Amino acid sequence: MTRFFIYVSILAGTSVISFGLAGIGYSIPAVGAGLCGLVWMIACWRGFQRFASPAFAVFTVISIVSIWAGVSSWLALACVTFSLIAWDLAMFVRRLGLAGDPQDRVRMERAHFARLGSVAGLGVIGAVAAARIHIDLTFGSSALLALLAFWGISALIYSLRSRE
Amino acid sequence: MSRMALLAVLVYLIILAGIGSLNGSLLGLAFPLVIYLMAGLWHGPEKPKLQVERTISAERILPGETVTVSLTVNNQGEALEQVLLHDPLPGFLEVIDGSASRFVDFPAHSSLTWKYTLRGRRGFHGFEGLQVLAEDRLGLVSRRAVLPSHGQLLVLPPAARVRRIAIRPRQTRVYSGVIPARQGGAGIDFFGLREYQIGDAPRRINWRASARHEEGLYSNEFEQERVADVGIVLDGRRSVNEFGGGRTIFEHSVTAAVAVSSALLSDGNRVGLFVYGRRFKWTPPGYGKRQRERILQDLALAEVGESQNFNSLIVPRRLFPSNSQIILVSPLQAEDLSMLVQLRVRGYQLMVISPDPVSFEARGLDGRASARLAFRIVRLQRELALRRLRRFGIQVVNWDVALPFEQAARSTLSRPLSFLRAIQRGGQV
Repeated sequence: MTRFFIYVSILAGTSVISFGLAGIGYSIPAVGAGLCGLVWMIACWRGFQRFASPAFAVFTVISIVSIWAGVSSWLALACVTFSLIAWDLAMFVRRLGLAGDPQDRVRMERAHFARLGSVAGLGVIGAVAAARIHIDLTFGSSALLALLAFWGISALIYSLRSRE
Repeated sequence: MSRMALLAVLVYLIILAGIGSLNGSLLGLAFPLVIYLMAGLWHGPEKPKLQVERTISAERILPGETVTVSLTVNNQGEALEQVLLHDPLPGFLEVIDGSASRFVDFPAHSSLTWKYTLRGRRGFHGFEGLQVLAEDRLGLVSRRAVLPSHGQLLVLPPAARVRRIAIRPRQTRVYSGVIPARQGGAGIDFFGLREYQIGDAPRRINWRASARHEEGLYSNEFEQERVADVGIVLDGRRSVNEFGGGRTIFEHSVTAAVAVSSALLSDGNRVGLFVYGRRFKWTPPGYGKRQRERILQDLALAEVGESQNFNSLIVPRRLFPSNSQIILVSPLQAEDLSMLVQLRVRGYQLMVISPDPVSFEARGLDGRASARLAFRIVRLQRELALRRLRRFGIQVVNWDVALPFEQAARSTLSRPLSFLRAIQRGGQV
């Protein structure tokens, strides 16, 4: 089941970003994004789950560039979210392969899908809510906010690492 | 790059791009990633407080037999969302039922028991401990631990049943057994005649010989049967035991050593073992079932080792005096002949059981003409070497390992060498 959802997520992420790029006339980048998705699917099918991390990074970068290029931010958000799901499941399926008991697999898969679904849902809700908030900032206050964001993310990573 | 680092880099990249382009909608892309990271922080596992207890259904099995390992893990701490429990198996053990790993969620103050069945190759296998990987559901934060749960399993070598090994050393011990002692006395086989002595049973009188000599009566004398000292030397040199493709003939040598030692011990002999492989291991000579167990355990641990100079093989005279029986189990190579001849010169009665490496290796070769020619040449060289050994009075059994050892032993070892020579069986199987 996990593998099926990996393929579905890769396909969905690739389709939305390719559709968005093709819709504004960037046919060649759209085909390129489609090819990237195809390579990711083949790598997943062949069992190269380590390919998921670079593929996830590539699709995030494509999404960023797509917004610059004029693609709808909703399509880019969908692409990032589906890529995140595919990347997470690719990592999960590796650990799942070590589970010997089939009953363990089913139970852990369900629990993982529930957690991932809630996290992805919250992320999308947060992004939708953020899109509705409009604040005019000067460059200085933007830079200050960016610095705060950097500090916050770094603190988050540090606390995560310290728990290991 | 770790998963956290990748997420952090991507979030930084999105924020930089958003600030750099003054495009607020770009910042929205970071939300799913940040929420994902925060979920890891929120649900990250505590340090696992687990205890494990291991039970092994048997500590000593024969090859092919199975053993069930039962593991009970107690969680004495907080609930763990996702735990991978993995019992690393020692080499050459194979799980045939169940699994050595579990991937579970572990509620607080609960226990988990699971079993798996395995079998293994000959040898000593030690279990180290249970590996634990506790993670949050998304696998961002993980904690590792190894829970001590030691155990051990001894897989004994296969026991081929050989009824009798006919040896005839020049020197025997004082206790009665089944080996002809070259001395007259009580026994079964006719040994000679002697003058009648008071107390001899009338049925022992040889009337035919007595009738020829008027001076007195003569009695039949029988050959005494006693036990003997036997030293078994197992050759575990890598250079003679291992072949291309990871194939080894050593397991056959071990099988032969088990069969020979068991047969000789069950006849009441005093048997010792010397394993000349990865490490030198002497099993001092002894009698009976306890000695059989010691030898079995040492053979279970026998491994091939790097090549040493076999010519330095020293048989301690204190344990095995001259004229006692030495049985060498070895595939042999041409350089070994001089050492064997020296042992023979020192007075040892020598028997060589040689698993045939030529036919063993030939089975792994293709049918090319060059391979066939090489096989014939090597076969001739080996035949010449074995013939040379036989000329020195060494009993040689050239065992084609395609045949079971029981079958080989029945036709070549169950009768005295003189009998085999008489019926033109030179020890070739």
